Amino acid sequence: MTLLLFLEQLFNGVQFGVTLFLIAAGLTLILGIMDFVFLAHGSQVMIGAYLAASLTILTGNFFLGILLAIPLTFASGYVLEYLLIRHLYRRDHMDQVLATFGLILFFNELIRIGFGPAALFSDLPPLLSGFVYILPDTPYPMFRVIVIVVGLACALGIHFLVAHTKMGAMVRAGANNESMTAALGINIRILRRMLFAMGACFAGLAGMMLGPLSAVEPGMGEPLLILSLVVIIIGGIGSVRGAFVAALLVGVVDTMGRVMLPIVLRTFMGQASADGAGPALASMMVYILMALVLVVRPTGLFPPKG
Amino acid sequence: MKKYLTLAVAATIAATPALADTVKVGYMTTLSGGAGIIGKQMQNAVNLAMEHTGGKLGGKDAEVVFADDQRKPDVAKQLANRLVKSDKVDVVAGVIWSNLMMAIHKPVTRSGTLLISSNAGPSPIAGSGCHKNFFSMSWQNDQTPEGMGKHLQDSGVKEVYILAPNYQAGKDMMAGFKRHYKGNIVGEVYTKLGQSDFQAELSTLRAAKPAATFIFQPGGMGINFIKQWKQAGMDSVSKLYTVFAVDGVSLPGLKEAAVGVVSTQTWSPDLDNAMNKRFVADYKAKFGGYPSFYAAQAYDTMMAIDHAVREAGSADTEAMRKVLAKGGIPTTRGSLAMNTNQFPIQNIYLREVVMDSDGVATTKVIGTVFENHSDAYASECKF
Amino acid sequence: MQGLKILVEGMLGNRTQFLLLIGFALFPIYTSIADLPFWNDIAMRIMLLGMAAMGLNLVLGYGGMVSFGHAAFVGIGAYCVGISQYYGLFNGWVHVLMALGTCGVLGLIIGFLALRTSGIYFIMITLAFAQMLFFLFVSLEQFGGDDGMSIDRAEFLPIDLWEPLRLYYLIWTSLTLVSVLLMFIVASRFGVVLQAIKDNESRVEAMGLAPLPFKITGYLISAMICGLAGALFASWQEYVSPDIMHWTRSGELMIIIILGGLGTLAGPLIGAVAFLLLEEILPELLYAIAPNYAENWMIIFGPILIAIVLFARGGLMGLLHRLSRVRP
Repeated sequence: MTLLLFLEQLFNGVQFGVTLFLIAAGLTLILGIMDFVFLAHGSQVMIGAYLAASLTILTGNFFLGILLAIPLTFASGYVLEYLLIRHLYRRDHMDQVLATFGLILFFNELIRIGFGPAALFSDLPPLLSGFVYILPDTPYPMFRVIVIVVGLACALGIHFLVAHTKMGAMVRAGANNESMTAALGINIRILRRMLFAMGACFAGLAGMMLGPLSAVEPGMGEPLLILSLVVIIIGGIGSVRGAFVAALLVGVVDTMGRVMLPIVLRTFMGQASADGAGPALASMMVYILMALVLVVRPTGLFPPKG
Repeated sequence: MKKYLTLAVAATIAATPALADTVKVGYMTTLSGGAGIIGKQMQNAVNLAMEHTGGKLGGKDAEVVFADDQRKPDVAKQLANRLVKSDKVDVVAGVIWSNLMMAIHKPVTRSGTLLISSNAGPSPIAGSGCHKNFFSMSWQNDQTPEGMGKHLQDSGVKEVYILAPNYQAGKDMMAGFKRHYKGNIVGEVYTKLGQSDFQAELSTLRAAKPAATFIFQPGGMGINFIKQWKQAGMDSVSKLYTVFAVDGVSLPGLKEAAVGVVSTQTWSPDLDNAMNKRFVADYKAKFGGYPSFYAAQAYDTMMAIDHAVREAGSADTEAMRKVLAKGGIPTTRGSLAMNTNQFPIQNIYLREVVMDSDGVATTKVIGTVFENHSDAYASECKF
Repeated sequence: MQGLKILVEGMLGNRTQFLLLIGFALFPIYTSIADLPFWNDIAMRIMLLGMAAMGLNLVLGYGGMVSFGHAAFVGIGAYCVGISQYYGLFNGWVHVLMALGTCGVLGLIIGFLALRTSGIYFIMITLAFAQMLFFLFVSLEQFGGDDGMSIDRAEFLPIDLWEPLRLYYLIWTSLTLVSVLLMFIVASRFGVVLQAIKDNESRVEAMGLAPLPFKITGYLISAMICGLAGALFASWQEYVSPDIMHWTRSGELMIIIILGGLGTLAGPLIGAVAFLLLEEILPELLYAIAPNYAENWMIIFGPILIAIVLFARGGLMGLLHRLSRVRP
């Protein structure tokens, strides 16, 4: 493995991590601040992807599709919170698990009925299909670079919102002492609704970025959900900064694990064994990482105070 | 008459008196859940076949009971028990997945009921675990990649980089490929099952610069891989050869992106025989879009049952068995011959993805790699 | 005499569970009269699922430990049978002992390692262990990998499992024994402490009891129950594969327990009945109303689960208790 390839894979890991961050950010806020086990977060990814893909087909313009899909995804999260989620905050975590599991089934079938079980066609506009030379002799799909840029921009945006705005202060205050903030006259209900909708929005944005790269199909969000849970645990539940660091860490470890492990194993195992053990171990890498982090820091890398 | 059941409320089944001479087929496939699109195509094909035969099989009244296995082995087992013991079907047919086939193979064949596979073909039941009541109307898992291996070997391709998901079928595919390809395998990568992002693997591929790349990535994985392959401009680095990645299920999701991708398969929509032409034309007209090989095999399964009942004069298991074992079954692949382990002996074609005159992506046969190919496990099978 | 009195009192106190068990015992009579023998299969599947769920309920419902890994124990129990048969060992009693032993040891190890954490961290660690076991069995090509192995019904001499209904009553007996066992455990000092730990762990510590040994013991017993369910399941299915231990199956067990009623004796079994019955009936219902959408039955199933959470607190058992209290 050359240095250039190594760096390129690092880049791949960062791109994957940034996508994970978009999903994990909303989840860590919902789980950490509202203490709500929202299993259907993967469905938000799917809803965003479908909205963008179908609006792109409808309008014939990729950018327009995404532009219209973002507020619609926000709205879907807002409506969901209003109709259902707010009734479940006081409930036991296990009840939330059951309810949001039912939600996953519902959304998957809704999409399946609405769009059919086959993958929806989603592709890049010619404008974004080019290459960028991130390193000498390394052409990299331009769209993936854009995904990284978008992800980083969102990260900065969320950080700004949480750390430097009144709303962010309210969110952090709400996290620490609910009755006090309510007593201060801050409408906790609207706050929660906005927070939830924003989480949905970012997850949906991740879906919109993923759509042109992979398949837009029912259930596309579930595999990412598990990984996002790992991310927020490593990062510390409720911490956006933790989610960011952890997402990059997980993205890089997963990517590098996948490509390097078979090579490393082959040096002291036979080819056949390495090819057999490599992928299995690579799948476990992220869990091993999580276990290691928890041993050293049982509440994650950046647990929020209080 | 067709009915749909998972495990029906008893009254529905018990109340309908089956005519004594009715041929009953229990068709098991995955209709709900993630892979429902495949099951849907198979169901469409079975319904189309019944239309073509006028609702009869072998000239007798016929009844098809669809069973949704939800891709779960325990549900499949339950359904198989029900179809055999309660509905007393004459044939259990269908089954997409190898693991489900492994779960129901023994119970069904041992009960004296014919089991005809429309897709699954794991090696144990082609070899030492074979049973005389089982017939395959599809292929043995290794055959299709064997075709690609031979093609690359014959074409003088010196080096290949191979890639498949890390599960039994993936390993079988690669083993089948290596049976005939004797050149240099410069890379053998097993990806995660269900993986959606292959950028990391593509980066490593590009650094290796192999002349040819052979992949097995079924379903959504295939769509993802080929999309990303094109987006990364890999066509200028290596030539892509595939199995089970471009077909009637994945092409609607890929469209132009798949043009030029080469694959091997035992069937293609453009195969030139009367039955196939009628099947493809009617399928397109009725369901909008080309049928996949899953659909073709499902259609062939019903046609095989039709043929067997007609030649045997009854739906008796042993009689039908004798007819099918002789081969010469009319299918969308022409007249199909049967091997001693009751898997087909058939051609393996080389196909390329092209856009047809309506601007729809489909595969076109560009050559025949194997004629009358047998699977590698037939010799191990002794009834 | 005293023991018998306690037993009868316990059964009366847990009427629902034992009524269900009696129902299952009598069910084959109905199916033979109505000529619906395949429903015995569904009943067996329900009983097995219920047994595994009862195992998980001990730690989840009574102990408050959210383990995402219990499907792995079911799978290991099944593979004890599968791998034994691969090497020519068909004795079902030995299989059961192996399943109990292996799951006991593994439950001890995993419990010991995982129970140092709590909350969501415990969930993820148990998930991680389950995933690793899943990947392990997928990679064992000798035993079929993910294609699995076709096996035979085990030999439980002197019972001949190939005789009709023998397997049914073997499963039923095991389920009843597990029910009685759990009933005693929950009512015992051990069970009381376990539930106290779930409510307030620091208070238990303040009373001078170390919570960890109780939790580990509970975990190991629940693992063994799941292993037993797995071993019997292998004989029923006549097939083993890593599918049984996929984390989604653990999720399914959890859904069943929550649906039926967490921390109740009858919750898991009633949840299993409801879950599998819905799986049977909903597609039929949809087929009758809108045939083209029969395979989309989960669009009704999902909201039913949501409705149960919203309107039936404590699951189906909670609903039953409320209904039984509303007497004229």
